[in-house]
Amino acid sequence: MSLLDILMIAIRVAFSAFVPLCFIAVCVWMERRGAGFIQDRSGPNRANIFGFRAAGLVQNLADAAKLIFKEDIISAHIKHKFFFVLAPIIVFFTAVVSFGVVPFADTLVINGKSYIMQGIPIDIGILWFLALAGFSVYGIILAGWSSTNKYGILGGLRSAAQVISYEIPMGLAIVSLLIVYGTVNLNEIARFQGELLFGFIPMWGAILQPLALVIFVVAAFAETNRTPFDLAEGESEIVAGFHVEYSAMKFAVFFMGEYVALFVSSAMIVTLFFGGYQIPFLATKTLITIAKPLAFVLMIGLPVGMYYFAGWIRRSNISHYPRENDPRAFEAKWYIRCFWGLIVIVELLLLAILLCQSGGDTINIFVALLQVCTFLVKVTMMLFVYIWVRWTLPRFRYDQLQKLGWQMLLPLALLNIFITSAVVVALS
Amino acid sequence: MGAKVKTIARRGSTLQERIFLIEIFKGMATTFGHFWRNLLDNSKLYVRHYPEVKPEIPVRWRGRHRLTSHEDGSVKCVACFMCQTNCPAQCIQIQAGERLDGKAEKMPVSFNIDLLECIYCGYCVEACPLDAIRMDTGIYSVTGKDRESFNMGIDDLLAKQGAFTEEDYKKGGA
Repeated sequence: MSLLDILMIAIRVAFSAFVPLCFIAVCVWMERRGAGFIQDRSGPNRANIFGFRAAGLVQNLADAAKLIFKEDIISAHIKHKFFFVLAPIIVFFTAVVSFGVVPFADTLVINGKSYIMQGIPIDIGILWFLALAGFSVYGIILAGWSSTNKYGILGGLRSAAQVISYEIPMGLAIVSLLIVYGTVNLNEIARFQGELLFGFIPMWGAILQPLALVIFVVAAFAETNRTPFDLAEGESEIVAGFHVEYSAMKFAVFFMGEYVALFVSSAMIVTLFFGGYQIPFLATKTLITIAKPLAFVLMIGLPVGMYYFAGWIRRSNISHYPRENDPRAFEAKWYIRCFWGLIVIVELLLLAILLCQSGGDTINIFVALLQVCTFLVKVTMMLFVYIWVRWTLPRFRYDQLQKLGWQMLLPLALLNIFITSAVVVALS
Repeated sequence: MGAKVKTIARRGSTLQERIFLIEIFKGMATTFGHFWRNLLDNSKLYVRHYPEVKPEIPVRWRGRHRLTSHEDGSVKCVACFMCQTNCPAQCIQIQAGERLDGKAEKMPVSFNIDLLECIYCGYCVEACPLDAIRMDTGIYSVTGKDRESFNMGIDDLLAKQGAFTEEDYKKGGA
């Protein structure tokens, strides 16, 4: 095992462990500012470090500091303290680990040796995700039960009932996908989606299996306990549901676990239905051949995009009331400088790509980086969809939820399997 | 004349609505419209930048109390205890004393209002026969660092002037 091998393993494990954690901050920020904008208010934008508010991101630091220093209470009435402490750990751990099988770039070839770009190098892919997603509900049930609290146990029960009625449509939706893809390996699934249908449409899961997409997305919402299916929390009915007895960092771990699960299920939806790390119309092979022109286009495109982005920052980051020497304008100036600095660094890297010899390892690494960026952009968009839906829809009533799961999604998923198999058999 | 009954049609039973998806997309289009508008131009947010931009207080707003005084500066209050008796929160404590300036027989020696007890109902203002107590200071946010700072004495109450003209105050429905 050479040094490069060890480095690549470290990189891929670090990526799949830390990127979901970093995205907690992004998710929370997007959720609060997005909710603000959707409801015509501004969201948290006052917390600052030396006057720099970073568009509200500093609020996350403030919240984290608060949660870390709060008193961690385990009520005296809780008999099973071990399970009480174990529950948030299960939720968080399963969420982080289930990202391990998601490929964030195509297999990278360096020195003629190929390196797989996913955290855990196993082939079971989607099955791993299903198993762990199902297991994370145990954390919620355990939390509800060990809280010895009527609201807690109601939340846990609701979550248990919900997960049964949504795991099945989700599994069946995946079955029809697997008929199309013919593999459970997520990297192969993503590679399959790089091809073109009739020569001009990307063969994304969303285009081949629209019905499965709808079923899977609905089930994924239920799986991650997001509105409109957040009955387990239901703050208007059962206070806070399963985490009503949790405080300080134990609550924070639940909270973070929820957002990691959100990230993972977005990543899963992107990988299964929206081409994963594939840039539309550009499969990995094409990308490698046109890497240099692409780098050139990026070199021109990035400053142009940055110019408009800087304009937007300058327009948005001002005080909306008369103020002498507006400190927000000063702040905006520094943000713009930072972003331009970033752009300059990227430009230099792109220049290096342009000057290097074609067909080498540098090109391969460049393509992998492009794919990582594509993947993260797609996942962020999916995260926005989650947030967008949360601030659009009210919560489903319990019976409506069960009705939707059993009477609509389940028959639809079965129908989808029949149609898909018929088409696949007819075509082969 | 009987009450007008407006019948609101029940919604949600047509096939289009029972499929959910179409209606969900309509709702999402609405929320995204708001999001996009505010993202492009955040000056259109329906918010007041509160500590810097203060709200406009109407004349009838029941703000912090004050005691009014005659033109020569002597207190109007005659310590009749109407407000103290009327106060549902029992936050007013008056001590009466003899009045020597000839305007009345009594005057308050001390007049304390505990603002932590006060519920800002305005009954003291209603009860006062001499227009001696008013809630027209326009102070809507009373803050302090200890409990004592919320206990208003007679000097604190006399010190603050009304935020509105006499004419506006009378028109405002006092």
